[in-house]
Amino acid sequence: MNNGLEYAMHDWYPVAIEGELEIGQSRQTRLLGEQLELRCDDSVCDASVCDASQRAGNTGDSVGTITIFSNGRKLPVQRAFNHLWTTLSEKPRELFAISEAQEPGRRLVPCGVVRVKCSPLRAVENFLDIAHFPFVHTDVLGAEPHTEVYKYDVRIDDTDDEVIASNIRFYQPQASKSSSGGIETQYIYRVPAPMAAVLYKTCPPKPEAMDVIAIFVQPLDEETCNVWPWMALYDDVSSMADLIQFQQLIFLQDRSILENQIPRRLPLDPKMEIPTRADLTSVAYRRWLKRHSAWYGAQISIDSLQNHSEGPNAHELAE
Amino acid sequence: MTTTPVALARDLPVQRVMRAQVDGCDLAIWRGISGQVQAWENRCPHRGMRLSYGFVRQDSLACAYHGWHYNCEAVCHYIPAHPELQPPASIKPVTYSVVEHQGVLWVNTRNEAEVPEFPEDSIGIRSITFDCPLSVAFEACLAAQLSDEAGLSLSPRQLGDAPLILSFGNQQQADSVLLLFQPSDLANVVIHVLAHHSYSVDGRIGISQWCESVRRQAELNHEVAMNAGMECTHE
Repeated sequence: MNNGLEYAMHDWYPVAIEGELEIGQSRQTRLLGEQLELRCDDSVCDASVCDASQRAGNTGDSVGTITIFSNGRKLPVQRAFNHLWTTLSEKPRELFAISEAQEPGRRLVPCGVVRVKCSPLRAVENFLDIAHFPFVHTDVLGAEPHTEVYKYDVRIDDTDDEVIASNIRFYQPQASKSSSGGIETQYIYRVPAPMAAVLYKTCPPKPEAMDVIAIFVQPLDEETCNVWPWMALYDDVSSMADLIQFQQLIFLQDRSILENQIPRRLPLDPKMEIPTRADLTSVAYRRWLKRHSAWYGAQISIDSLQNHSEGPNAHELAE
Repeated sequence: MTTTPVALARDLPVQRVMRAQVDGCDLAIWRGISGQVQAWENRCPHRGMRLSYGFVRQDSLACAYHGWHYNCEAVCHYIPAHPELQPPASIKPVTYSVVEHQGVLWVNTRNEAEVPEFPEDSIGIRSITFDCPLSVAFEACLAAQLSDEAGLSLSPRQLGDAPLILSFGNQQQADSVLLLFQPSDLANVVIHVLAHHSYSVDGRIGISQWCESVRRQAELNHEVAMNAGMECTHE
């Protein structure tokens, strides 16, 4: 039985924040059920690592070089978006790009890590959801009676092989650390890999630009993950600690939901959970996962394997 | 599957929701403003969120995740993301039969809930969770010494086996203290404790403390048995 590992093992995953480990330090973590050891030493960084860091717009000025071992095997490492990434694959897919990481004037904010007892796919799906804002992030990202999710667009971009949701707008009492009152926020979402999601939202101090917030999910196993939120913001005022604290608050509120969803794995059987129009991004995400057989962290019923149904057919999805 | 006690009724005030487990089945139990109690599968049909974390408004239970409102007929009647939408009638949580009887809530996850007979003039003292299997908890309760307020010893007798009910009494008062067992899963038991209404406040506190000492003994017995079992496996 294909458990989705076949797809998942060829992606890159974050395992640490860049510069977090000091020379001489090592750390244990897990990835896709495998035990990993990260070691930081002062050896010269090898060519493949430096290439990758340049592509991701990083300077590679960190104090030590990280080596990652799994069962005695040395794994590839690259730096991107202020994190260290690795893969179990010898022929990994290319790591997705976030071009805003190179834009001058943006503050790049790695927000730490949140351990969540849920499927990595549930964590991504929750990140794509706006309808929960008034109930889970009350008086911050949403508030009753402003609960309506207006019609928006979702597509699967075949060129980049990404799920994209656009033309989303939602009323927010405090859209970000830099906002000083309620505004209608615009959103665009991208899912460039099954366990990563990027959003672009109205930037209160710079209306012509959009803030970028992403989550990079490290699957420890199918039912446990580390979520590494990351931001690229135009905000010259807030302190780094305040920016991180704001994002951590939001994500801890999400965790209280994520650890109480049944089942822990994301059900891909359309009969298991009923979507509505507001869930079009989640519906497209589930379809896209199915299309790739990206089943690591998903619950697949025998039913849905047999009929290869392409996703929820709830009548309310029809216009 | 039999009817099982899941809570003392007074522990579920109006417009509140609580979680209970019966033989591993996870339940959301809630009471609307009209006072009626509902017992549902603890899972929102939308995105699988446990409904016991939700909130009650009037006679509806709303999910904590997206605020979907379900009425007393378990029909979803309001989806906040689409305020104008009349939700399809197919969106329904799984419901179970529940009755409120003599200050106790009883649930049956297969059939209509049927309440067992037990003495009427008792009042709820507390519910207490034992971190051990049903049989261990039951043995510990049977073996525990209990006296009434006058210091006269009470002896246990079993009133029913499904649900399991243990009554402590003596010649002065036949059913002085009642224990109703709720096997929540294989590893845990909740015991709902009732006492004759003539007990003073101090007497009720005494029963509550007695429960805690029995729990300590039961959990200790369980631990000893587990360790003994492990030693056997090693040999």
